Amino acid sequence: MKKTGPLINRRFFLRASGVTLALPLLESLSHGVLRTGTAIGATAGSAVGAARPVRMVCIGNALGFYPPAFFPKKTGEDYELPTLLNPMAPHRKDFTLFSGLDHGAKGAHYAVHTFLSGVKSADAKAMPEGNISLDQRAAETVGGATRFPSLTIGAEGGIHGGTLMCWTRSGTRVPPISGPKELFRKLFIGESESDRAAAADRFRLKGSILDVVQGDAKSLERQLGKRDQEKLDEYFTSVRDVERQLGLRKQWSNVPKPKPGIPEPANAGYISDLPVLYDLMLLALQTDSTRIATLETGSTAFGFQADYHGLSHHGQVPGKIDSIVKIGLYQMEQFARFLGKLKALEDGDKTLLNNTMVLFGSGMGDANNHSLYNLPIILAGGGFRHGEFKAYPASGLGRTQLCNLYLSMLQRFGVETNRFGISTGTLSGLGVA
Amino acid sequence: MALAMAAAAMAAVIVPLTTTVPLATAAAEPSKTGSAAADVTIKAFLGTYCTECHGAEKQKGDRRFDQLSLPVSNADALLDLQDILDQLNLGEMPPKKAKRHPDPKEMRESVERLTQLVADGQARLPSAGGQTVLRRLNRREYINTVGDLFALNMIMFDPTTKFPGDQLVMQMDNNGDALRTSSYLLDQYLDAADQVVEKAFKLQQRPPEKTWTFNGNFRQQDQLDRVQDNLPNPFRYLNIFESPKSFKHNGAYAPLLAFADGVPADGFYEIKVNAEAMNRNHTFDPAIFSPMDTKEPFRLGIVPGNQKAGWLHYPQTIEPLLAETALGDNGPESHTFKVWLDAGYTPRFIFPNGMMSLFNAATQFSKRYGNLLPKGKFEGKAAAYEMAPHIRIHEVTIRGPLYDQWPPASQQVIFGGKPFEAGRMREILEAFASRAYRRPASADEVNRLVAAVEQRVKDSRSPLDALKDGLKAVLCSPAFLYLAEPEPPAANSKALSAHALASRLSYFLCSTLPDAELTALAQSGELLKPEVLLAQTRRLLASRKSEAFVQGFLDSWLNLRSLGDMPPPEGSYFERYYGHDLQNAMRRETQLFTRHLLDKNESIVRFLDADYTFVNRPLAKLYDMGDAVSPADGNEFRQVKIANPNRGGLLCLARVLTFSANGVETSPVTRGVWLLENIFGITPPPPPDNVKPIDPDVRGAKSMRDLLSKHRENAACFECHRKIDPLGFALENFDPIGAWRTNYEKIEQVNARTVKRTLGPVIDASGELPGGESFKDLPGLKKILVERKDQFARTLSERLLSYACGRRIERLDRPDVDRIVKELARREYGFKDLIELVALSKTFQSK
Repeated sequence: MKKTGPLINRRFFLRASGVTLALPLLESLSHGVLRTGTAIGATAGSAVGAARPVRMVCIGNALGFYPPAFFPKKTGEDYELPTLLNPMAPHRKDFTLFSGLDHGAKGAHYAVHTFLSGVKSADAKAMPEGNISLDQRAAETVGGATRFPSLTIGAEGGIHGGTLMCWTRSGTRVPPISGPKELFRKLFIGESESDRAAAADRFRLKGSILDVVQGDAKSLERQLGKRDQEKLDEYFTSVRDVERQLGLRKQWSNVPKPKPGIPEPANAGYISDLPVLYDLMLLALQTDSTRIATLETGSTAFGFQADYHGLSHHGQVPGKIDSIVKIGLYQMEQFARFLGKLKALEDGDKTLLNNTMVLFGSGMGDANNHSLYNLPIILAGGGFRHGEFKAYPASGLGRTQLCNLYLSMLQRFGVETNRFGISTGTLSGLGVA
Repeated sequence: MALAMAAAAMAAVIVPLTTTVPLATAAAEPSKTGSAAADVTIKAFLGTYCTECHGAEKQKGDRRFDQLSLPVSNADALLDLQDILDQLNLGEMPPKKAKRHPDPKEMRESVERLTQLVADGQARLPSAGGQTVLRRLNRREYINTVGDLFALNMIMFDPTTKFPGDQLVMQMDNNGDALRTSSYLLDQYLDAADQVVEKAFKLQQRPPEKTWTFNGNFRQQDQLDRVQDNLPNPFRYLNIFESPKSFKHNGAYAPLLAFADGVPADGFYEIKVNAEAMNRNHTFDPAIFSPMDTKEPFRLGIVPGNQKAGWLHYPQTIEPLLAETALGDNGPESHTFKVWLDAGYTPRFIFPNGMMSLFNAATQFSKRYGNLLPKGKFEGKAAAYEMAPHIRIHEVTIRGPLYDQWPPASQQVIFGGKPFEAGRMREILEAFASRAYRRPASADEVNRLVAAVEQRVKDSRSPLDALKDGLKAVLCSPAFLYLAEPEPPAANSKALSAHALASRLSYFLCSTLPDAELTALAQSGELLKPEVLLAQTRRLLASRKSEAFVQGFLDSWLNLRSLGDMPPPEGSYFERYYGHDLQNAMRRETQLFTRHLLDKNESIVRFLDADYTFVNRPLAKLYDMGDAVSPADGNEFRQVKIANPNRGGLLCLARVLTFSANGVETSPVTRGVWLLENIFGITPPPPPDNVKPIDPDVRGAKSMRDLLSKHRENAACFECHRKIDPLGFALENFDPIGAWRTNYEKIEQVNARTVKRTLGPVIDASGELPGGESFKDLPGLKKILVERKDQFARTLSERLLSYACGRRIERLDRPDVDRIVKELARREYGFKDLIELVALSKTFQSK
């Protein structure tokens, strides 16, 4: 799949995203930003076709998947696809399915937010890196290479606030961009000249406010006791971080946003929005607006059916199980469709899927009994060796931390670290292709 | 036999112990005599009755007392000792089936000695922390504070929507140590400051008053318009059919689409509506229009909508009820309301006691009464809609903006009632910063602001715009964002400064900055006098602003904030939960009940059992109180007398019962833990790692009691579940939304769409507490709780103190808590007394 021209295969994109987004697209995409390599090459001047950056996508829901329809009976390469995985048939060589991985967390819905971090927000303080989530940890290393260090997308709300997937180092949540419309605007709507001037003035103002408050913080510090001074350190750190981010944002504000060439999508409701969000996420990766994206599918806000939560407590009633499987199947179909698109896009001399690790799963193991063990986990792409169902011991001493998989992903992403969350090492048995 | 008698005798003695034996002497001085002898006796006591299970061989509950070092020399030993004392006082240890039990005399003496040892230890050991850590404003405090600083109307304005949720500690949202600041949050502070200041100064010219009239071409959503097209006079009326809590929102919100851009400026608007209750007295089967109550007059409400926030026919995040009225039955009538609207918001009309689903109603109607309807899909529908009960709006007139004062309060408060002049820049900044920082701003701080503002003027901003930028800086300063409590000057004192105390009191009772009177008393130092502090506490409690305390504290103490996170599934069974907006009614009931205890200084024992509560009509129905609230004022809350012993008190509040279930099924464990934590003040340890969660079986094959009794056979589970489960069982007669039930439900799926619900096993609400007291039903448990009111008083005092100080209350704070509880008992447990005792406590007035 050798490729030298523009990154984007127009024909493919027309075919693939015609499903949901009314195109004419991508003339504009392929000229300007991408051809001159401005966005892609923001890591100064790396030419199109050179070593491509690794990307990371994480997708999660709040209520998991009905386990008997998710986990195959047989491990290894020639497992039979269970109902929920049927849509994944075309990709079976491109993903790995795991069982027996989890964070050992308790707390039912309240702890589902540990999905990407391994750490409950309430316990964050005791952890060296708080409850930072996988995506945010990776984003810390991206710096100003892309316009957005990461994109957090998905439904707000739902049971106990929703999926609540993304967390910063300080234990605060990164709220998602909630609908196709907002995401589109974020990605593609550029500013007018007067808006840019106003933006420049805002940067100046923020800079001067930060100077003032830093002075205030120093005065305050002198009056405080030791415990309070330690607390005030959070503030000092935040000021420095915001100053740095401001610097990066200032640079990016001079680079025009890519042109999508499609009209702005409307928010059309739970079910229809999901594929559109996937498509926009794909566009964000294609245009190198970001290299890290997350998608949270909620519980009520992304309801699929009004009583998704009620169904998840199926109480072993067959009719309810059918419904909950259907809801899961829809999510899986959209995921498979997304993988298909990643696979069909060229990225350097590989496919975009090859350079994008895609994690799919949930912090909920079995919604019926609120078990957070044995989480449903799929890893696709990213240059890992795939094609297997890998079962790790589901109980007893040999249990494996899901954070070990995350550590492997981070290292693959290029983060120099030996630990993540509650990891005990990298994930044994996961190789690189 | 002898053993059982001993146990019975003990139970009889233990209960009075909690009330007669002082739990700790109030003396700060360690007693110097007799302590060595006491140590030996206590060791012997522990050796005889405790170390069999908490010694070298076994360490039940992870506790081991054979190596306990006495007198107390470290914090761990003190905690152990306090634990032992608590268990003895509770009568929970030694357990009933233990081989040996102390006789009442030995028990009383040991408790006394232990109490002394604990008091000595507390006096000897330096406090392990026990201070409030630099606390930033939480989200609700931020909203209230900026609202007050700028005299802004905040009902439609929330600058904090992008703030991350506040970290909770023991459900409290104001714990300084836990509340974190991140770069993300600081970035949001910068944006919020911008929004707030720009809003406060948006109106520089008084906008002209205008009038808009709408009396035709009332387009609505497509689904309705398609049907309207078939009427002889389409779009003549604006119709409302459904409750805003319906699931499909088909005719639930009636916006004026011709006025979708909303009002041009923030201000009051007079809205005159000519409306008519249509078909209230119909002869059709009322079930078709479920859950409407044919006895109630129709209510017409107004909520704001903003098309930028979403479709105007759907619910929106910011949707306060601006006005409501009941409609008569005699044709069109006019009602005039004066409501506040922010620029861009448009009034939307609602029908709070409307039907749940217009679509379902129309379908059923055409099945039952098809003969009354003309042929043709839409013609038939149009006729059905016409015959259905609904509100018909004939005409709407909007006039405004209207102002009580000009310039707006938000600018007067900043400029000190005088017009803005560039020459007064320093004066204005200093006054504003001093209010925002809740103490006089220092010269340094003002200088920095002035320098920044001057720089902005050089960057070619107008003086007023530059001033605005200075105000924004104030809102991002740590002096504003944190409730800073400067280190007391004297090394051996922990007393707060007068300004810090004013802030603490104001954020405790009003969740906002000190008002002018409090600030003046802080400035003069008068506030440091106990009688002044008491008078201010009373003044604030009596003010409207203390509603923030009622809400904030209830959410924190009872963890009721989460109600709504896990609502019952939408569907016919729980229709009334949604259709009657029970969620908000439950919230209101809890607040009104607490407000009543506070205003009347009623005993806190009423939290445990009361013969009254506050209900509106839907809630009265949920409680099987039928027509306790008359149909005419269905949404009004009334204080009602409770005759049924199964109701009354916190445990029976629908809000508590809904919150402690998960919306689908009840769990005695969740409710038991809730009760243990919030009433008894005991946090059970999390389940051990090797335990599988219980898989609920709603097919009715096994009751929760069977499943749990199996669970308790496991020794690891037994320790905690014997304490948890009995409390939860007592509440099993309440379903997931707090309605009474005598049997569990058996749920069968008949086919994909239909669920059959039949009576399952009879509910057994009896139980036995670890100390051996047993009860046969909920009233029995409530009686036991009332007997143990001192323990509840302690829990409540600790929670109040924790909320008031913004920190955890540790065991080492116990002397002060003991003093409060003792004095409270003397004052007949008045709730208002308790809050005053908290405000006057040493802990509250210390760093």
